[in-house]
Amino acid sequence: MTDLEFNICVDDYSDGVYRFILKISKNKEDAKDIVQTAFEKLWVNREKVETLKAKSYLFTVAYHLMIDQLRKENKIIMTDSFDENTQTVSQGSSELKQLLLHAINNLNPTQKSLILLKDYEGYSYQEIGEIMQLSESQVKVYLHRARQILKNRLTHLEKMSA
Amino acid sequence: MINEKNYETYFMSYIDNELNAAERAAVEAFVLTEPKYLEELALFEKTKLQAPSREQIAMEDKIFLYRFPEMQASLDTDFKKSLYRKQAPVRKVLFTPNVRRASFAIAALFILLIGIQLFKTSTVIKDKTAIAITNNSYSNLKQTENNILPKGLNEIAINKNSTTKLSDIPVSNKANIIIIAKIESARANQEAFEDQAIASNNMNTNILSATEDLNQASRENDSQNISAKFNETQISSSAMETMPSELEKTMLPTIYTEIDTEDEDRTINIGMIEIDGAAFRGITRKFSALLKRNKIEKEK
Repeated sequence: MTDLEFNICVDDYSDGVYRFILKISKNKEDAKDIVQTAFEKLWVNREKVETLKAKSYLFTVAYHLMIDQLRKENKIIMTDSFDENTQTVSQGSSELKQLLLHAINNLNPTQKSLILLKDYEGYSYQEIGEIMQLSESQVKVYLHRARQILKNRLTHLEKMSA
Repeated sequence: MINEKNYETYFMSYIDNELNAAERAAVEAFVLTEPKYLEELALFEKTKLQAPSREQIAMEDKIFLYRFPEMQASLDTDFKKSLYRKQAPVRKVLFTPNVRRASFAIAALFILLIGIQLFKTSTVIKDKTAIAITNNSYSNLKQTENNILPKGLNEIAINKNSTTKLSDIPVSNKANIIIIAKIESARANQEAFEDQAIASNNMNTNILSATEDLNQASRENDSQNISAKFNETQISSSAMETMPSELEKTMLPTIYTEIDTEDEDRTINIGMIEIDGAAFRGITRKFSALLKRNKIEKEK
């Protein structure tokens, strides 16, 4: 990877990596630090990383940095269901998008990451598996479970609003 | 094949765009079979997030992520080596404050000892002066003795022409033995003074020679003359017996001599050790210079 290709990667992927991390960590400074570290690693390993794989490389590094940080802060809560308090708060929202975002925020980091990588970045199951070090079938199962949760949540909210 | 049991999986794979063309066509055909499947698919579609635009969420301070050719510039190895810095070794302080105080104390004690020794040296000089005076007294004594002995010898010479009896010779020998014994006792007194030894020997020699003369005269002179000489010799011996008391009288006066501190050849006696003055001054100068230098370095 040349200097120019690296800088193109900065242009193309830095925002994507940043919002991906920010959506999960909810901390701008942490997200910026993680993005900076990810690009630093890409620069150090620029001779080994192909340009076409640079995006996947950046997301992989950033994801694991984020998971490590969340583990340090004990923010990882593996839960598949919404709690009642969250439901009560969300009942007042009228817009579907806000409800969905709120619902996604209540997913665990793994499910949230799956949703974000799939919907925001358009990665395939295989690519997500590479980034998150999961098998393709695991990605499929976890992602479908997350979508099922979101669908149920939206259905419930629609019934409440109706 | 898609059916009522697995349609949800197909629907989710459909919205995730993970189905091939045939599978997608199968799903689209399936949802048309019943309206509830169409609603179900629409609900799954709602779970799909729409990617925000870059303006909505953009990385701040992105400029720091860019890399420029100048950022890769590196210095020559030799130049880098020239930038290396090695911490200078900390100089060991020779004299800490405590050591310095101890040094001053030792120096003060040393000077005190020198002062005491100088005081003793002046006493030795005084003794030497007294001995010198004693030597003079001995030479005077010797002169006195010479004045006495020739007198006896003269008397012997005067009486040389008188007759001598052989039976009186043992008496004169007896007197000679007494004279020699007295001379020996005088010699013993003289041995206490080293410098008077030579003078004493000379005196003994004179006395012995006088005795020999006396013996010779005794053979020639009569007993009366011999007894007269014996009395005179006794006078000279009694004069020698009084010599120590005279010496004591002459030794009493004390003479003090001033020490010339500017004298380069002056020696300093510390106990049994005799130190050259110039060498000692050199040592003290070096010692003071060392202390001064140490103080300057510490102040720096």
